[in-house]
This record gives sequence, structure tokens and C-alpha cells, in this order.
Amino acid sequence: MLPAVFAGREDTGSDVWLRNVTFERGRNYLITAESGTGKSSLCSYIYGYRNDFSGSLLHDGCDVNTLTVEQWCRVRRESIAYLPQELRLFPELTTLENIMLKNQLTGFKTEAQIMEMLEMLGIPEKAHSAVGRLSIGQQQRVAIVRTLCQPADFIMLDEPVSHLDETNNRIVAQLVTDEARRQGAGIIATSVGNNVMINVDKELKL
Amino acid sequence: MKLIWKLLRKHISASQLIGFSIANLVGLTIVILAVQFYGDVAPVFNDEESFLSKDYLVITRNVTGTGALLGNTGEFDEQAIAHIEAQPWCRKVGRFTGSDFSVYASMGLAGDRAMRTQFFFESIPSDFIDVNDAQWEWDASRPEIPVIISRDYVALYNFGFASSQGLPKISESQMSKIPLAFTLTGNGLSEMLPGRIVGFSNRLNTVIVPEEFMQWANARYGTHGAKQPQRLILEVNSPGDVKIEEYMKEKRYDVAGDKMSSSKANYFLVLIIGIVITVGIIISLLSFFVLMLSIYLLLQKNTRKLQDLLLLGYSPAEVSKPYIGMVVAINGIVLVLAIVLMLVARCYYMDMLSVFGTVGSGIGMSLLAGAVIMSLITAGNVIAIKRKIASLWRNS
Repeated sequence: MLPAVFAGREDTGSDVWLRNVTFERGRNYLITAESGTGKSSLCSYIYGYRNDFSGSLLHDGCDVNTLTVEQWCRVRRESIAYLPQELRLFPELTTLENIMLKNQLTGFKTEAQIMEMLEMLGIPEKAHSAVGRLSIGQQQRVAIVRTLCQPADFIMLDEPVSHLDETNNRIVAQLVTDEARRQGAGIIATSVGNNVMINVDKELKL
Repeated sequence: MKLIWKLLRKHISASQLIGFSIANLVGLTIVILAVQFYGDVAPVFNDEESFLSKDYLVITRNVTGTGALLGNTGEFDEQAIAHIEAQPWCRKVGRFTGSDFSVYASMGLAGDRAMRTQFFFESIPSDFIDVNDAQWEWDASRPEIPVIISRDYVALYNFGFASSQGLPKISESQMSKIPLAFTLTGNGLSEMLPGRIVGFSNRLNTVIVPEEFMQWANARYGTHGAKQPQRLILEVNSPGDVKIEEYMKEKRYDVAGDKMSSSKANYFLVLIIGIVITVGIIISLLSFFVLMLSIYLLLQKNTRKLQDLLLLGYSPAEVSKPYIGMVVAINGIVLVLAIVLMLVARCYYMDMLSVFGTVGSGIGMSLLAGAVIMSLITAGNVIAIKRKIASLWRNS
């Protein structure tokens, strides 16, 4: 596959574009890339909110272009837990409300489990603060907790630790890895430099 | 759902929604009030009478001054009647039978015969009269005379007599309840019989009694024997037929009843109501666009939030729900308020109309009109919301 903006290129020097790539459940992947090489595009194709690419993308052997709106909704609730690079939090809602907005859709975690994750990430006192008032690093941690509030075959994280220090990076890696192991899910993480500290089965250069 | 609403209610402009609601309330009230008013008023203008078949004509012979002097009594002889019966447009001919005795009518409450006047009766065959048999029955053993009187008499009393004498106006239903008594005199007898008004007619400018009664009374009190009728009632295929008009002209028969002016009045009523309904619909339509604009603006301002919700896994239907709920609630409230306003206005005008004896029609038609218009507006709004959110899905 190739993003439409790269159309005409024959050799991108990428392990993903113009190649056959398979992501398998239960394995961890790190996609490293320089800025502007289409890392977020790849995530948006997999998550189904953009389809400006040539080639084909299959979910369990099924062409994503044939999926209906209902099927995509199910993918987003039950198959792929996605952390967008831009976080997509609602600044006027509190930390807990942001997380509950996802969790009430999936009913996956209890409030106690959510609070436990917030505690691990060092922001339990921010549970009732409006997200718009948190620092970008704190927001990133809120978004990670929200991402983990659903069943998943893959946990897809677009630059998950770009604003986190090493300690928090390690905690995030632990949380995500534990969750993936519990569910037998795979992890797809992207990075332009600050790599999330997970054990990677395969590293792909974009 | 509470969280979604908390998120999506931002940017809702109360002033825009109030503006829409008021405009739609005005438009809808005008429409349903006009429909209701038409239903209530039409019977006053309409020539159709519940107890007479619609397609009938009453004819008389044209009597000129000289004709009368020369002994032309205006009666229809058997030959003329047979000729009319033979016409292809004529279904049935009925004769008006006059009373061959003198009649005094008295009316009043509690035995107080407040009004007494010389009176007259005519009858036409019962098959031209379509009232309940029990009401139109004459039984000599339990004598009570059912009469149908001209509506003009009611108007004459209300607008001529009562208003000049400072007496209260009486509605038709009240008038039907006033006890009547008729004193029939002739053939050496004078007897008082009770009477009862069973109907009012726009087009029969006379007092009609059952034919059986007339035969009985003429035999009992009459002295002159049977006379030829001066008026005929015809049931025809189509009263507007040109051939009928030509025939009447040729034979110099007059068609009685002011059908023309009544249909003109009815025509103008329909025209005016039509204009009012159109204005109401235009206001409703404009208000619909105000709401559409307001919703589009709202969705536009909340585009990012809606897209983010879709990314979280919310379906377009779930995301549209709060807005659809809002629209349905607003439109429902507007519909209920419009119906209440219509009913209040109806109370006022029905008071004024009661002197014409109309009891009004049911409110089913106007409720239906309101419900249909509101359903269409709501459906339009819902479709617009769904489309807009579907487009966000594609572009999220």
C-alpha cells in the first residue's frame, strides 16, 4: 500500500510502503519514522478514518474498503485500541469523564481499575480536573488510560510517550504490555525518536 | 448519554431555538386554526343540509303582474308535472302541499305563550326529507307536529327582532328546545297541538311538516279540497346542468333558493382560508429553515467533537441522538402549544358562531393537519442531522 500523497514513488526505502506487511495478534511492533513519512496516515488507514491510499489493507483477510459503518464502529470498540498522536481529548470534560466516555461504550473497566491506572501514572488528583487545564504530558497519560478501556486485538499507539519522561515512559510501557498480555493483543507503536520502552518483536522503518 | 449531551450541548444557541419555536408556533397555529375554522364555519355557508338531498331544486312558475290579473295562479297542472318528470335530468318530482286551514303558532317557556302569530304549513314527500324517521313521524294518536323551518326566520328573529327589542339572541339548538303549540282551525274545529322544530333549512323558504300530517290535517280541517301545487321540488342529476337552465327559461319557471350567493360566499371562504393556510405554511417553512440553519451551525461548531466521538467508536446514530432528541422535544412542545392556542381561539369564535346554530366540526382534522406538518418538519430536521453526521463520518 502507498498513501495517495506518495503516489508515483517507486522506491520509498520503507519497510511498510509498497511492501507486504502483516501485523499478527500477540506480537509487538515498533514503527520508527522520520517526521512526514506517513506514520499517522498509516494509523488512520488501519483505524478506518482515512482511505486515501492505493493498494489494499486487510483486517482478518477482509478488505477494509468493504467494511460498513457498523463494522468500523465494532472495530473501534472491540478490536483496535487507538491512541492518536493528537490525543483527541475533550478539554471541557474532566479526566474521569474523558475516560468514562470510552468506558461507558465498552463497559470494559471499573472505575476502581481506572483510578488505579491514574495512580500508577501519578495523576489521581487530576481525576476531577478539566483536561484542558492539564499539562500536555498529563493529557498524554489520560489518553493512554482511555485507550486501554476497551477489549482489543491490537493496541495501536501513535507516539505514545512523546511528552513523557523516562519514568512515566516505563510505567506506560508496563501498563500497555500488561494489558496486551492479558488480552493476547498485539502492540503497534510508532515513534520519531522517544521510543516507548516495550519489548519489540519486530521493528519497521517507515 | 449524559456525558455526550454535556459535550454536545455546547454552542446550542437558546435565542435561535426560541426564535424558531416562536416562528413555528405562529405558523403552525395559523394553519391548524384556519383548518379548524373552516371546518366549523363551512356548514354555515354550505348549502348542504343534513336532511335534504344535495341535488335538488325548488321551482315556481313565473307569475307576472298581468298574469295574475288574467287568472294565472302559478299552479303546476298535471301535464306540466308529467313533462318535467319526463326530462332526462330529472330523477324525481315532489309537490308542495299547502295547508287548507288556518294555523296559529305560539311559543314560550313554561306554558307562557309569549309569542303568537298566524302561521302556515307546507309539506313535501317524505322521501325528500332525510331526517331520522322517529323524528319525522306523525302519529294522530299522539299528536306532535314536527316542523322544519327556514333558517331565515332564525336570522330574522336574531338580527331583526331580538336586537331591536333588546332581547337575547337564540341559537338554533336553543330554539329547537322552545315548546311550540299550533292552533289549527277549520271545518268547524279549532284544536291546539304541540309542535317541535326538528331542523332548519337554508333553501326551503317555508315551514315544512310531514306529508302524512298534512293529509290528515287537510282532511280534518280543510274545506276547499285538493289544489294543484304552486311549487315543486325536483331531484336532479346535476343542479348545475345547462339543460335544466334552458328548460326553466323556456318554460318560464323560477328556480328558488339563493344557491348562487351561498356558493359564492363559500368560494370566498375557501379562498380566504386557503390564503391564510398558505401564509401559515410559509411561516412554518421559514421557521423550518431557521432551525435547519441553527442545527447546521451547531453541528459545524461541534464538528471536531463529533468526529472525536466517532473515533472513540460511537456510531453516527448514537452521536445524532442528542440533537434528534432536542429537535423532537422542541417540535413536540410547539405542536402541543399550537393545539392549545387553537383550542383557546376556537372557544372565542365558537361563542360568536353559536347564533348561526353551528356546533362546529370535530377537531380531528386540524389535529391531523398539525401532526402531519410537524412530522414533516421533524422528519426534515432529522434527515438533515443524520446526513450532516454521516458526512462527518466520511471526513473524520
